[in-house]
Amino acid sequence: MASIFESPELIGAFIGEVEEQLQLLENNVVELEKNGGTAEVVQELFRAAHTLKGSSATMGFEKMKTLTHEMENVLDKIRNGLLEISRPVIDVLFECLDCLNMLKEDFVSDSNNVKTEITPVITKLKEISSENETNNQNSDSDKAENLETGRREQPIFVLDEKQQEQINQALGIGQNVLVCEVEILEDSQMKSVRACLIMNFLNEWGTVINMVPNVMEIPIDSDVGKVAFLVVTQMSADELRQKVQNDLMDIKEVRVFPYFIQNSISQTKDGETGVRDKDNSSGVKTATEEKRVVHTVRIDVDRLERMMDLVGELVIEQIRIAQVANNLYNQYPSDETIDDLIGISNRVSILINELQEGIMKTRMIPVQQLFSRFPRMVRDLSVSLNKEVNLVLEGGETEIDRTIMEEMSDPLIHLIRNAIDHGIENPEIRKKLGKPEQGTLRVTALPEDSNVIITVEDDGAGIDPQEIKQSAIKKRIVTEQEANNMTEQQLINLIFQTGFSTSQKVSDVSGRGVGMDIVKTHIEKLNGIIDVETCAGSGTKFIIKLPIKLPLTLAILKGLLVKISNETYALPMNNVVEIVRKPKNEIESINGQAVAVIRDRAIPLIWLHDYFGIPRGNERKNTLIVLLGIAEKRFGLVVDELIGNQEIVVTNLGSYIGKVEGISGATILGDRSVACILDVVGIAKIVNSRKVSRIDVEYSKQ
Amino acid sequence: MNDLLTSQYVAYELAGEKYALKISDVYEIIKMQSITPIHNSKPFLEGVINLRGKIIPVANLHKRFGLGNYTPTKKTRIVVVKSRDEMIGIVVDKVNQVIRFSDIQPPPEMVAGIDGSYFEGVGITDEGVISILKIDKVLHE
Repeated sequence: MASIFESPELIGAFIGEVEEQLQLLENNVVELEKNGGTAEVVQELFRAAHTLKGSSATMGFEKMKTLTHEMENVLDKIRNGLLEISRPVIDVLFECLDCLNMLKEDFVSDSNNVKTEITPVITKLKEISSENETNNQNSDSDKAENLETGRREQPIFVLDEKQQEQINQALGIGQNVLVCEVEILEDSQMKSVRACLIMNFLNEWGTVINMVPNVMEIPIDSDVGKVAFLVVTQMSADELRQKVQNDLMDIKEVRVFPYFIQNSISQTKDGETGVRDKDNSSGVKTATEEKRVVHTVRIDVDRLERMMDLVGELVIEQIRIAQVANNLYNQYPSDETIDDLIGISNRVSILINELQEGIMKTRMIPVQQLFSRFPRMVRDLSVSLNKEVNLVLEGGETEIDRTIMEEMSDPLIHLIRNAIDHGIENPEIRKKLGKPEQGTLRVTALPEDSNVIITVEDDGAGIDPQEIKQSAIKKRIVTEQEANNMTEQQLINLIFQTGFSTSQKVSDVSGRGVGMDIVKTHIEKLNGIIDVETCAGSGTKFIIKLPIKLPLTLAILKGLLVKISNETYALPMNNVVEIVRKPKNEIESINGQAVAVIRDRAIPLIWLHDYFGIPRGNERKNTLIVLLGIAEKRFGLVVDELIGNQEIVVTNLGSYIGKVEGISGATILGDRSVACILDVVGIAKIVNSRKVSRIDVEYSKQ
Repeated sequence: MNDLLTSQYVAYELAGEKYALKISDVYEIIKMQSITPIHNSKPFLEGVINLRGKIIPVANLHKRFGLGNYTPTKKTRIVVVKSRDEMIGIVVDKVNQVIRFSDIQPPPEMVAGIDGSYFEGVGITDEGVISILKIDKVLHE
């Protein structure tokens, strides 16, 4: 039996499912802690635990099954309003999550040898559920019978779509939706039957939509104390209460109050009109969710990867077919077969484009999947650092290629850690500074053309350029003289230097910078751009611009064609920030480095002419500057002419030529000539070489 | 030596001197075309060309041997050779003909001012002697 379940595919699918459900559990527990339990959240928790129980039982994974079973019991009690959500409950749930994670790890490494102990957690779960039961019973008798507390203690009804609809309709035609809580006399015989009888009575005066606990399902001899019915009726709350009290027997207490659709404590203040809208939207949401479940297929990423590769090759071959067709056309302009060939080639090219788009789309996932890891992390970190942090996540629905997202995970976690560790101050300090005690950490994602902009922003201490300067000089990353010549932005960008990250001491002084070079390296690898906006005292914002899609293959990129002297070069469009024309007299020299001020930033300029040993272009009034960016670096490339942008096929220069500084490859242009592709990272490295960036002596005189 | 004698050779000229390449090393001979320069690479690398959709490097043997640069004329050709599994073009002033040698002698210490170790030998023809280049060594070392 066990051997069937040892196949790698099955285990892989199982682990995939476990990871998904664990993530779901985690999100919802965090939500539970933050906003109290709405019916939906509790229901989702329950469902996730139940799913886990089911699949671990199938796999013969006893420990996970037992643990999730106990979790289910506790969650069931919460769901039915028998257990209040409190700090200890949340803590135990978090413990369960950690335990489940460890179980999963164990299972991955050796499914027959799971070492993680579940007994302590299970004991705690059992304690919680029994403790709270008694608490609940005690507090029940203390409950005042006023309406306000009634609202707050409204049991959680789990409604399906049809029932939601019924409520909406009832409200629409002016009927009342009431909660009728009935406590059955303790010495009453066969309480469950009594409960059924009450239900039947209520059904005469209205319609019972739902009840907690469900009297139809509980065993006949079980001990039912209190039953809550959700009733749609013409009667008012008082009328109904009167009637129940007068007409029914064996009843200790009756409370009737209007039903509040959102059950969370924080939302009871909502007006009734607002509540109905919300109700509708949540109904729609569950409907779409159900659909999505049905239409989803799990695919191994490797298969997608393979398809990507194949499409990449297809694109390249298609471009070659088009080239050959063009050549043939030039040779035999009057041959109709060649016209056909060109037609087919164009059609195939369109189809391949669509195929490419399709495959790209399958690799896109919402950023939410990455974001969902943050709440738990922020919670744990702020608890351990004794800080109050409100995490705001926006734009989770933005889609991005999964590889890019995976690559971004580490840098974002780093930035968030930094923001909490060094950015946001302790509550006491914040209070003194007149800031709200709770710091805000905002992480957003926003699509922009073929890029996505991710920002990480805190309202903490900010970065002081002077402190950076001092520690950079101390660490010998720059000399004092160099540092004195740097702009504030340049100083702040020093946090991305490798030396900055290695020394704990420096980071203590500067308050920032542990591992910022890792952030930079990752972003550079993805061909992204990072900006820092900071204001000492009021916070820091990191702005990261990334391509939404990975290049299909590294072999095709969008290029900007420019002329340097009379030679044509291609620049990767991803790195082009903007193109500006500057009058010659606006180009200044700072310590021999030519600089142009573009959007309030001093940008160093490069003449590749000098580097390549070709004469600088003819003197014109304006200098044409292509502003390039890679990770945190910006620089201006002086070009003589812009030709345009187009898709280019990248060919490497082959092993005979080998690596050439500043050039990443070559491409064949439409006129069959060859153009070199400039390597932005490589050029960024030579930016400091005075040789290429000095204003020509004669040039500056004019 | 026997192998050298039975082979056919492509004879060409560089700066007025006659040279030869084993025909099995030659992949193709094309007319001169515009060469895209690759700056800051090997000193005698002239650049790259598009050979029917493939980008191949072109070497400048004039520079390699310090012969003073060539001036492109109608007769200038690019001889594409296969060297160490890669196609590489070399610019020559003129391609003469395909020939066989009646005798091949070991290279002297210096051939037309070039180190003798770059040559397989010197081929004897009716019209005079032609130096046979070791193309792999010339391009790679």
